[in-house]
Amino acid sequence: MSAPAIEVRGLRREFRVRQGMFAPPKQVIAVDDVSFAVPAGSVLGVVGESGCGKSTLARLILGLLEPTAGDVLVDGQRLGGMDRRARARLIQPVFQDPFASLNPKRRIGDIVAMPLIAQGNIGRAEIGRRVAEALDRVGLSRDQGLRFPAQLSGGQRQRVAIARALVLRPRIVVCDEPTSALDVSVQAQILNLLAELRRDLGLTYLFISHNLAVVEHIASEVAVMYLGRIVERTESEALFAAPRHPYTRALLASVLTPEPGLGVPDVGLGDIMPDPANIPTGCRFHPRCPAALTRCSSEVPRTTQDGVGLVECHLVGQAA
Amino acid sequence: MTALLEVRDLRVTIGSTAAVRGTAITVNKGETHCLVGESGCGKSISALSVMGLLPRGSKRETTMLRFAGEEIGKYSERQMERLRGDRMAMIFQEPMTSLNPAYTVGSQMTEVLRRHRGTPRAQAVDRAAELLARVGITAPGLRLGQFPHQLSGGLRQRVMIAMALMCDPELLIADEPTTALDVTVQAQILRLLAGLQKDFGLGILLITHDLGVVARIADRVSVMYAGEVVESAPTASLFAAPEHPYTRGLLTCVPVPGKVKRDEPLGSIPGVVPRITPGFAGCGFRDRCSEAHAACSGTIPRQTVSDGHELLCTLAPGWGGKAAA
Repeated sequence: MSAPAIEVRGLRREFRVRQGMFAPPKQVIAVDDVSFAVPAGSVLGVVGESGCGKSTLARLILGLLEPTAGDVLVDGQRLGGMDRRARARLIQPVFQDPFASLNPKRRIGDIVAMPLIAQGNIGRAEIGRRVAEALDRVGLSRDQGLRFPAQLSGGQRQRVAIARALVLRPRIVVCDEPTSALDVSVQAQILNLLAELRRDLGLTYLFISHNLAVVEHIASEVAVMYLGRIVERTESEALFAAPRHPYTRALLASVLTPEPGLGVPDVGLGDIMPDPANIPTGCRFHPRCPAALTRCSSEVPRTTQDGVGLVECHLVGQAA
Repeated sequence: MTALLEVRDLRVTIGSTAAVRGTAITVNKGETHCLVGESGCGKSISALSVMGLLPRGSKRETTMLRFAGEEIGKYSERQMERLRGDRMAMIFQEPMTSLNPAYTVGSQMTEVLRRHRGTPRAQAVDRAAELLARVGITAPGLRLGQFPHQLSGGLRQRVMIAMALMCDPELLIADEPTTALDVTVQAQILRLLAGLQKDFGLGILLITHDLGVVARIADRVSVMYAGEVVESAPTASLFAAPEHPYTRGLLTCVPVPGKVKRDEPLGSIPGVVPRITPGFAGCGFRDRCSEAHAACSGTIPRQTVSDGHELLCTLAPGWGGKAAA
């Protein structure tokens, strides 16, 4: 394993939420003591239900939100307090909705050039050359560079977003649900493109998605988030072959593969929904857990880290 | 099996776009028929036109639109209003946009019954509570007094389903009912729909782009592309032996855990969905199809592959040997 391209240490983010006009503000911990390291050239998939903190995690890593505590390091350099331009050269985002993330009034070429212009010290000829190179990389023609976002399809717009992320030649790309807004045939094109770019440019991805089949296809390691914490983090094949946390098992069980005759599985989670404003005591998953023990409601499970990976569950600690 | 809904040669034009071009759909009693396709293929428009809910400025033509043995194609708006929400009900993708934020769950649910049946309020409230419990909502009494924004996405979709069932419909049209939900909740909602269908003998027309959902819940599948049903078959036969190049392509695009190795490319269909104007002739898929030839711009034959398996393509069934998927 090579040195980590990105390392996250004890990342935490709290929000204060008002629930009524006169009610005292409530503290919501969206990301709670998250740590991981991703080796250069690999892909960490982050999965979880809505509200689990995966998008907040992406925003913290990108520097769009200030963490309450913790650090993000790229190539050993702390991102916190770093100049915005320097940070942009290291880490870039690709967001879910290519309709919302591109300025509709600018031409594609100008959109892709923006990160270069913002650097402030790159000449016009150089900008032109690098924009053409980035468009070419993602399979867009020069002619398409002169058009406006509204003239492109969803898949083409996502290619533009990827070109914009690549134009500064970053080390890390944070992909937040990059294919969720796309049709399946287009999703496959974008996934193939991302895989090809990672190989050719040696990129490292943080790949956030609710679609486990997509994550299985692209990620080398998977982190499962539940109410702000990573409850299991394991190398991709091992996770899909033998999930250890009951929540991971439930998530995998709910993936509907196109195999007729299997019916819809019973996930066994009940109908209590996770609420980040009311995190349960003990193990935060215990109210929904089909395998919960009495101690799960009072004792916070310890993190077990072994040869297979990391998991936070009383059952796993016990079996060992 | 008795046909609950029979649609023949449905054509819908919206402005200068031919959104649906000669679609046929049959939903039998107690059967789930899935319409699958990518955005813009006309699947939602087909469903909306059955309900008589097309957007302003669109034109519908059909040779047959029969519901429970009765031709409803020529029904007036008033007659359709009587059917909608009563004998045929619809649920949509985003429950937040189809629930009224200004009224409680209870008042929205009981309105359906009071309007169609003139049921007294107290009785309608009982029925609403009973159905909320049936769709797996604990404490239905509490939920009836709440507003939509106080519910989670999964709960809202359950409320929508319960509301659709208020008048004991015969046909339920569900347009992407689980697309906005988490996978765990999606599985719960689909299980619920399957259970309700068994108990109530519902005919369900389910619109989705998710082949996983189709495989697990449909009895019959129709694949739509550019306004046409290009292939229609019983679910098992469609997945075991897909015939249309589009269906085959679509099935290779879906990542299935354990099927395609990581970093090996997924199958994909090059190009984008064309915009079809009235007067367009031939196969809508030919520009993206690797098997396209001269005959594809002419009239495309409708072929029968096997019992109940129909194909709209110039290729002979069984082309290229055993199907890719």
